[in-house]
Amino acid sequence: MKRTSILIITAISVLLIAATTILFPQSKPKFDQPVLITSAGQSADVTIAGMIFKRANVQAKAIPLAKAADLEGVKTLVVVAGFSSKGLGAAGISREQELARVQSILQEAREKKLKIMTLHIGGKARRGNQSDDFNKMAAEVASYLLVVKQGNEDQFFSKIAAEKKIPIDLVDKIVDAVQPVAKAFEK
Amino acid sequence: MLIVIAVVCTLAGREFLKMYEPDEIIPGPGVTKVDNLSSYSGDLAGTISDTKVYVLDSGKPGATALVLGGTHPNEPAGFMTAVVLTEHAFVREGRVIVIPQVCSSGFTCTDPLEGYPQSYSIQTKSKIRSFRFGARGSNPLTEWPDPLVFLQYPSGQQLSGNEVRNLNRSYPGRPDGTVTERVAYAVMQLIERENVDIAFDLHEAAPEIPIINAIVTHEKGKDAAASALFTLESENLQFALEMSPPNFHGLSHREWGDRSAVFPYLMETSNPIQGRLRGVTNEALVVQGIDRKYFEAAQIGSMRITYDLEGEPLARRVGRHLRGLQALLGAYMESTPEKRIVVDSVPEYEEILARGLGDFLH
Repeated sequence: MKRTSILIITAISVLLIAATTILFPQSKPKFDQPVLITSAGQSADVTIAGMIFKRANVQAKAIPLAKAADLEGVKTLVVVAGFSSKGLGAAGISREQELARVQSILQEAREKKLKIMTLHIGGKARRGNQSDDFNKMAAEVASYLLVVKQGNEDQFFSKIAAEKKIPIDLVDKIVDAVQPVAKAFEK
Repeated sequence: MLIVIAVVCTLAGREFLKMYEPDEIIPGPGVTKVDNLSSYSGDLAGTISDTKVYVLDSGKPGATALVLGGTHPNEPAGFMTAVVLTEHAFVREGRVIVIPQVCSSGFTCTDPLEGYPQSYSIQTKSKIRSFRFGARGSNPLTEWPDPLVFLQYPSGQQLSGNEVRNLNRSYPGRPDGTVTERVAYAVMQLIERENVDIAFDLHEAAPEIPIINAIVTHEKGKDAAASALFTLESENLQFALEMSPPNFHGLSHREWGDRSAVFPYLMETSNPIQGRLRGVTNEALVVQGIDRKYFEAAQIGSMRITYDLEGEPLARRVGRHLRGLQALLGAYMESTPEKRIVVDSVPEYEEILARGLGDFLH
């Protein structure tokens, strides 16, 4: 009897959650220009993100090592998450310095009430221990998450989106990110 | 007892010397000239560090591309990609220069304690062809002994002693340096004298290394690389883009880019025989790339690439290099339309998977 009750309560809860998700999906915010793209982890995906925005006809300035001061006049901060040891080497900074920089710019963006779009486009190559600190940090404060599915096979980003009530789009390929970006900036 | 020892030594010696027998590379109809690397640095002439340079010239103006295979002779996909280009490709516009075994002396030995096979075989349409599986660096006999610490020239960067024989830590090289530095110098001279516009250094790495299935680019080539990556991804070929660290010296993508007008790219595929998780280390692992331990690692989510029971066969790795190279050439032409380079008869990725590598070799 007790087991049946638990099963019924669980089933009702699942149905309620599903119904809520269907009836009241997280509405996607609209983003405004000017746009600053920065990296969280110094992967070269920031260059690819620049290409995505170019193809989406959204003007954006990319500064992989952007600091809080670079947010002056900016309306949208795009954070491209994913760690690269080569990228850190290229930037000449340590992982800890990069974590501190990302923390600082995200905090400043939140204080300025900027919208934050977080992109994870590097798939499995940008997951794992080294990347996930950056991925979590950038995803948790996002106003919108755009993720290439291969990087979300374990639902890492979906879980953050559900927990923090952040709208998320999952796309099959990097090139599929162009359309959602264009739509997010539509007037 | 002495007779037994003599027989064993003779047999072992014969096996050892087999590594000095050059691989057969048969120039295809696209090859217009065969030269030696020593033409660019005379000291290499007559040594095991000299190597063939194949020129595929369309006779029409355009860009010049350089393709290096065998920088690390234990990374066979780079070498085999260069062989397929030499034996099969035809250049319609511009010019392609191919060096399949740039670290030639590294093909005369294997790395100690790795248990690597000395060679591997590929069935072509007409015969079984055997190719040497070499070492990561130059043969130690060419510049013995290794120093305790390798001081990279001219940066002064300190690396472990055995890296002195690593060609991809030795650029720009010098004419009176170690043998490996002289090879690096000859490559730099070739880039300068032949006015090379775009250059490829083809590599492989262990499946557990983060930088695999990747294109590494100098900053000046990053936009073309990003554009190529879009093209490749639309064909379901995933490549990660990595930037060349400016403060890590001696690497092709750094020194070629800093010291010449060339757009340099390094590409990496995933090679199970180089990995630490590998089990049986034999010829089949080179060619088929199937290793149960990597499959298990992928199952528990420890791999950053997809690794299934089909493994990472050499044909797939060569296919990735060829397709990556073509996509980068396409992106380069988009950015510099006045410098065209069109290479025909390069097998498509799906084609090489379906028909096998041997179909594209003589």
